[in-house]
Amino acid sequence: MRVVRRFGVSLLMIWMVMTITFFMIRLMPGNPIMDAYLSLLQQGVPSQEAMAQIHVLYDVYPNQSVLTQYVLYVWHLLHGNFGTSIVYAGRPVLPLILASAPWTLMLVSIGITISFFIGLFLGVLIALNRNTWFDNVMSQIASIFHGIPNYVTGFIFLYFFTVMLPWFPFGNIYGNTVTPGLNFPFIASVAYHSVLPIAAYVFGAFGTWTLSTKSAAVAVLGDDFIQADKIRGLTPGQQLDHLIHNSVLPLFTGFVLSLGMMFGGAVFIEETFTIPGLGYLIAQSTSQRDYPVMQGCFLLLSSAVILANFLADMLYSRIDPRIRV
Amino acid sequence: MILAASTASRQSRSSSLARIFLSRPIRVIGLAIIALYLFMAIFGPVIFPPSTALVANPAKVYQGPSWADPLGTDFQGVSVLAEIVLGARGVLMVGVGAAFFIVVVGVAVGLIAGFTGGIVDAILMRITDVFIAIPQFPLLLLVATILNASSPGLIILMLGLTTWGGLARAIRSQVLSLRERDFVEAARGLGLGTGTIALRVILPNMLSYVAMNFLVSITGAIYAEVGLLFLGVTPFTPDNWGVMLHEADSVAGALYTRKSVFYVISPLMAILLLQAGIIFILGGLDEVFNPRLRKTGATQ
Repeated sequence: MRVVRRFGVSLLMIWMVMTITFFMIRLMPGNPIMDAYLSLLQQGVPSQEAMAQIHVLYDVYPNQSVLTQYVLYVWHLLHGNFGTSIVYAGRPVLPLILASAPWTLMLVSIGITISFFIGLFLGVLIALNRNTWFDNVMSQIASIFHGIPNYVTGFIFLYFFTVMLPWFPFGNIYGNTVTPGLNFPFIASVAYHSVLPIAAYVFGAFGTWTLSTKSAAVAVLGDDFIQADKIRGLTPGQQLDHLIHNSVLPLFTGFVLSLGMMFGGAVFIEETFTIPGLGYLIAQSTSQRDYPVMQGCFLLLSSAVILANFLADMLYSRIDPRIRV
Repeated sequence: MILAASTASRQSRSSSLARIFLSRPIRVIGLAIIALYLFMAIFGPVIFPPSTALVANPAKVYQGPSWADPLGTDFQGVSVLAEIVLGARGVLMVGVGAAFFIVVVGVAVGLIAGFTGGIVDAILMRITDVFIAIPQFPLLLLVATILNASSPGLIILMLGLTTWGGLARAIRSQVLSLRERDFVEAARGLGLGTGTIALRVILPNMLSYVAMNFLVSITGAIYAEVGLLFLGVTPFTPDNWGVMLHEADSVAGALYTRKSVFYVISPLMAILLLQAGIIFILGGLDEVFNPRLRKTGATQ
């Protein structure tokens, strides 16, 4: 029953995001659709033809009532029709997004995993050495790196390791001499091109994991069962095992929430390293005012994050029986 | 008598404030960094008059550091230090403005939701949930593109509207736990109104949390603001760290020469240093509002 309710709430939230985006784009000052329509009229295009062009671009007729436009918009979305791109001459939005998503998923998931384990390691280490110089120094460093924007880390890696020390390639995700597919040179080239972007993700995110692991581990260290472990004479290895297992639990929801953050970061990292992923698509469509693509990316991202939250909620009560409400 | 007593207590309070912030070298460094940024924001245009400091000089493109240009020059031969210093005002103004907006809206929504409960609480929290669930930066990109705003006021509004959710939820849960405490019960027993209890009894107990959120929100807003300019989404203001980064990435050819190192690294370091300054004083701030955290020696 709870599952159904939470799922319903998630769907409601996705619907709200859809609605907000629609009205934001259509009702704000500088409505791009009316702008495009009026500028076509100014260029001397007959109104009938201008209307037809707008219909091809935005999938709406400017003279329809907002309500009709809204119903049509939702209807089309439900059928997977996200409109057609303006910049990529008439290509439908959905395939465009699906083609660029894999690169982003690959980089984000590797980056998030590496930074998670680094953060876990440092956080537990800090908690075990509380109030020592190690704690003082590492906590400050982690705080400074916590939430550092990815353009800072990305730019520093890009500049130092492709310009100052030309060790790594610059631009795209594979070299132009390899053919995409399941062959060794291609995979090697992708791996080589991925080193810097992944490093930029890791440096942008490990501070957050370190801080949350530290606070979770400090709380666990004060728990009775850890004291009991000592009294029972468990080996330090076993104690550490208990500590880590119980410190990881609270991080789980953060892990899912950070997905949204990571996709925000992907915009910067992919723009900096010109990687043809979702973030790059968002950055390009934004700077070129390609509304259908922007809107499509935004809706899919938000829906993915909302659904991930739902799954995390469900899984969490599975993993940690104490949470079951 | 009473007046004298209150002055004395105020004096001891301000001296203990000074003691808290001067007790650790790291906090002194943090204060110094923040003072430096405030100085740049206030006196920047006096030190480097924009009309003379930002003039292109083709003879000085990408020069290394010198006495005249301590951070070298950019792709137009403009002093990088002048650009950094002149950029501080706009960046800080938007950061502080947006942080203020976030704190006011977040605290107001959290207080109202936590205190009234019932249907108001449910509606406010559903709205908050949506704002938390939507990936914040993509939302900001969408809003920024639609508004195409270059005025600081609109940018502040935009940053604030997309970010207040997290604080609102946190404040609400603090209110829920605080209002069951004895001293709130006592205030109710005294017959104080709900508004008075919320603003004069509960709010002061959350001040340290709010103040820390304010400081952290400043850096968050600055990151987002500079990021929007870096991507070229918001229209350019003449001098801003984000514009420097955008130009380094696109027009300046900075990524094809090692000579541009000071131009590329300076705006990044300006951002990192400000973040460090704020992090360094956060611990002190916590002690100001939480006397229990102070070292016993420092509180007498």
